[in-house]
Amino acid sequence: MRSIVFLLLIIIALLLQSTIFTFLQVAGVKPDLILMLVVFNGFLRGSREGAFLGFLAGLAQDIFSGSYIGLNALTKMLAGYLVGLAEARFYKESVIIVSLVTFMVGILNQLACYVLLFYLNIEVAPFFALGQVIMPSAIYTGLMVPLTYWKFYSSYEKGWLREREP
Amino acid sequence: MPRFVSYKNFFLLSVLVGITLLVMRFTHLERPQLTPMEAAIKDSLAPVQGALVRIAETFRNGTEFISSLGRLSEENKALKEQVSLLKGQLYLQEELKQENKRLKELLQYQDRYKQNFSVRTAAVIGRDPGNWFGIVTLNKGSKDGIVKNMPVVTPSGLVGKIVAVSQNTSQLMLISDPRSGVGAMVQETRVPGVLEGTTAGTGETRLIHVPKDTQLFDGQTIITSGIGGTFPKGIPIGKITGVSNEPTGLFKTATVVPFADLHRLEEVLVITTIYNPDILPPTEGN
Repeated sequence: MRSIVFLLLIIIALLLQSTIFTFLQVAGVKPDLILMLVVFNGFLRGSREGAFLGFLAGLAQDIFSGSYIGLNALTKMLAGYLVGLAEARFYKESVIIVSLVTFMVGILNQLACYVLLFYLNIEVAPFFALGQVIMPSAIYTGLMVPLTYWKFYSSYEKGWLREREP
Repeated sequence: MPRFVSYKNFFLLSVLVGITLLVMRFTHLERPQLTPMEAAIKDSLAPVQGALVRIAETFRNGTEFISSLGRLSEENKALKEQVSLLKGQLYLQEELKQENKRLKELLQYQDRYKQNFSVRTAAVIGRDPGNWFGIVTLNKGSKDGIVKNMPVVTPSGLVGKIVAVSQNTSQLMLISDPRSGVGAMVQETRVPGVLEGTTAGTGETRLIHVPKDTQLFDGQTIITSGIGGTFPKGIPIGKITGVSNEPTGLFKTATVVPFADLHRLEEVLVITTIYNPDILPPTEGN
């Protein structure tokens, strides 16, 4: 049930990102809302589930984009896993910490993507990759966190995303 | 009869009434002009009247202002609503105007190049959710005769090519996508090169593998060279904004800003049939 709600959120994020957010580009980039959801999930649930739902979310994005299926699945899985490692170490109530974690993971996620692009024989000059994609998108995504984290967190505590008792 | 209503007085009164009645008749509204006395009175009183009216107006405005203070917030709210409504209408009108302008340009373009290729107009309905690739979804697909590798342009210049087609939609790869490669040349000097994308976010492209001994300047126009077969020759692409040497030392690279605004595409033209790939009309950039 929880996973289905999460995937619905992913689909909504994909639709928003491919339509409305193309008009809200800052410095040529859109925020990575999917990564943000993956980070929230990993931060609140831990590595295992973070990686699993990260993979599913990335896969959904790849299928939606229609090319290089697996590119985002792998990088988002990594992101979910890495955030999950931080799960037990930080206060979950702090928006600032979640923003910083999102920013850091945003950079790592895009760096992984960059490496995979080389594997796919797509060359992007490092200057453009760092300056025009990796850094701006990590910053933009990190700044989106304060707007959405509370909603996600309260839903996780007592809403749709709450863990059901076995 | 009492003394004060003597015959004399009665007579004077009658004369007065009579004259007044006569004067009444002659001073009707449609008469040709005012009598000199009337005019003089009016003229001399006018400034005083004016001043009085102004004072009265000020006073009235003051009292109205005080008495309306209670209603102001309500009125303000109503006016604000009206303003936002009107603004909305204005935006809508502006939007329609803009659309009309764009469509007109597309039509003109279609007419101008009718003998060289036929085109289909398609609208942009989505973009790649990521930041690396410049993939745009169009609302025309195989049902409308779109097939893979068709070039896509706007009246300003080259946009990209179709890379995937479904029945009702197609995917357009922008020339700024890092996977894009277009056979291009400098219009003035006919120096050939390959135009590749950088990242979708920058919206910039680079003309690479230009031999080092050729002259490249800022402001030169880049057009398609026709080499590679996908794009017909002579479509304007963009302008050089910077030149640098490649690390190998053998070639130069030029940064090219496309004429078409790749971040704000709304309608594009998909070239479906090319009748005459070599004889294109003289190109023009913005």
